[in-house]
Parts: sequence; structure tokens; C-alpha cells
Amino acid sequence: MNADGSGDGGGRGAAEADYRARFAGLLQGPARTRARLVEEVGNGFADTVAAWRDTGLDEAGAARRAEAEFGTPEEVAASCEGELTLAQARHTAAVVASTAPLLLACWYLLGHAETARDGWLPQLAQSLAAGLAGVAGVAAVGAVLALGATGRASRWVAVPRRLPGAVGWLGTAASGAMAGSAAALTVAAALATDWPLVALAGVASAACHAGVASSARACRRQVRAAARSA
Amino acid sequence: MKADAVRGHLDGLLLAVLEQGPLHGYAIITAVQRRSGGALDLRTGTIYPALNRLERQGLLASDWESTGERRRRSYRLTESGRAGLAERRADWRAFTAAIGSVLDPAPGGAT
Repeated sequence: MNADGSGDGGGRGAAEADYRARFAGLLQGPARTRARLVEEVGNGFADTVAAWRDTGLDEAGAARRAEAEFGTPEEVAASCEGELTLAQARHTAAVVASTAPLLLACWYLLGHAETARDGWLPQLAQSLAAGLAGVAGVAAVGAVLALGATGRASRWVAVPRRLPGAVGWLGTAASGAMAGSAAALTVAAALATDWPLVALAGVASAACHAGVASSARACRRQVRAAARSA
Repeated sequence: MKADAVRGHLDGLLLAVLEQGPLHGYAIITAVQRRSGGALDLRTGTIYPALNRLERQGLLASDWESTGERRRRSYRLTESGRAGLAERRADWRAFTAAIGSVLDPAPGGAT
């Protein structure tokens, strides 16, 4: 099938493959959710084409009637945007909720690490720990609340329109705390007697930062894209 | 019936056609169209995100099933879904009774 839906459309299945590719190209969001929607919508469109083909239409005619009935890839993708934005927000919230407690554990470890010498750095590290742990704790609580609000609770209470954006910024704050934590733990490791453990905590913190930052960025990008197309 | 009017009742329609047993997406579409006599103006591809939403809300559950060359996602009502459907039915009956009594008053009834 040609881009405008006319022409002979090639062999059987060409229109379905074209529709699926156009639809997949319009989606943003977590890969698993996108893959599921592409497969379901692609198969649904193929079933619709087959039903029109069974009425005696040729391939191009069946594809045109199917698209009119099923919706264009743009129409169907637009209807998926809300769910994909929420899926991305839930993914980000889950990453924050599962990694922020690890940050707290890292700082607990630092608090109990023996330092080779007393000095200003351990004290500074302790003050920094309190601030970063506070950010991580607030982010974890916020993430759990967001997961609750976008799950079964959304049956009774509509999800606030700004919630996905708030989750994106919450993730950004948590990832910032994790980056600070990774840097502080790296420096502290140089001064700690049991430095391998503290260094390991720094590496874990850096890994968490990478995961959360990437998800939070994707969440903010998706919210911006949804706002543009609204 | 206009798409906007249908959209407000889409969740109830989807839950209702799944009451008899599990169905995959296209079978749900054809069941809605068959039951409505084709009167509902709805881009049928847009039911897929609605099914996703109902599953996220715990009203539906789903699994992949292989049929021939394709995998299809089969949806079924959960207990919460049955309760949700009963609630929507009760709301709809109350709504239509109230509107009906105004639009089409019984002869000799209160004015």
C-alpha cells in the first residue's frame, strides 16, 4: 500500500506491515509497553483487513476500509499517549522506589565505616549524608505514592494531570542525590580503613544514578511530547 | 452515535462484552459492534489503550495466547471488574430512568 492508502499495496500482508511500522514509529514510552501495543494493535488491524478481504474486496480496498474503521496510525497512537505517559511515569517511580533505599543503605555504611584519620571530610560527609538521604527518602515516599495513585486507586480517583511530570522531576532530584552520593562516597573511600566496602557503595550509587537519571529524562521528554500534541 | 458520547461509556461496554468469558482485542471489537448493531461510531483501534487502562486499574487481567501464526492478548474480567460492571449498570439505569422520565413523561404523570 502506498503512503496515501492507494495503489495495489503489494502482496498480502504489506498493508498490515506498513500500518504496524507507521504506528510503531509514532510511539514513545517504556519498550515493553510499546512492544505490547504494537503487537496488539498490529494484529487487530490485520484482523480488520482480513474481515474486509473476506467481503470480496481486493488488498488495497480492504486496507483502506480497515484503516477507516480501525483508525489511522496517528489516531490510534494519539489514543495510546496517555497510557504510555503513565506507563513511563510508573516505570520511573518504580526505579526510584527500588533504588532510593539503596542510597540510604550506602550512607548508613559510610556512617559506620572506620576512618583512617579524623578530620573535616568525614564530618562533611556526614552532613552531606543527612541532606542526600533526606532527598532520597522523600523521593522514595513520593514514588510509592505515585505508584499507588496510578494503579488500582485510579479506578476511584482520577490521576492528576501533572503527576507524570512531577514523577519526572522527582526522579531527577533522586538521581542528583545519587550522583552527589557517588562522588562523596568515592572521596570518603580514600579515607576509610575499609575502603573497598565504601568504594563498592560509591559504585552502586553511581549505577543507581545512571538508571534513575535515564528513566527520569525519558519521563520528562514524554510529558513534554504529550503536552505538545494535546 | 457520536464518538465523544461513546467514549464516556467505553469502559462499561468493554467490561460488559467480557462478562460471558475471555476474548482477545478484535473479538471484543466485533462483540461491541454486533451488540450495538453497528450504531457506535468508534475508531476500533482506540480500544487497545482502554483495555490497557482497565487492566492497570485491576478490572481486567490478560495473558498472551498463541493462535496460528499470531499471538493474541486474551482479556478476562477480574472480581473487581465484575463489581465495576455491576456499578456501571446501576449508574446507567438510574441515569436513563431519570433522563427518560423528563424526555418521555408518562401520560397523566407529574409535570
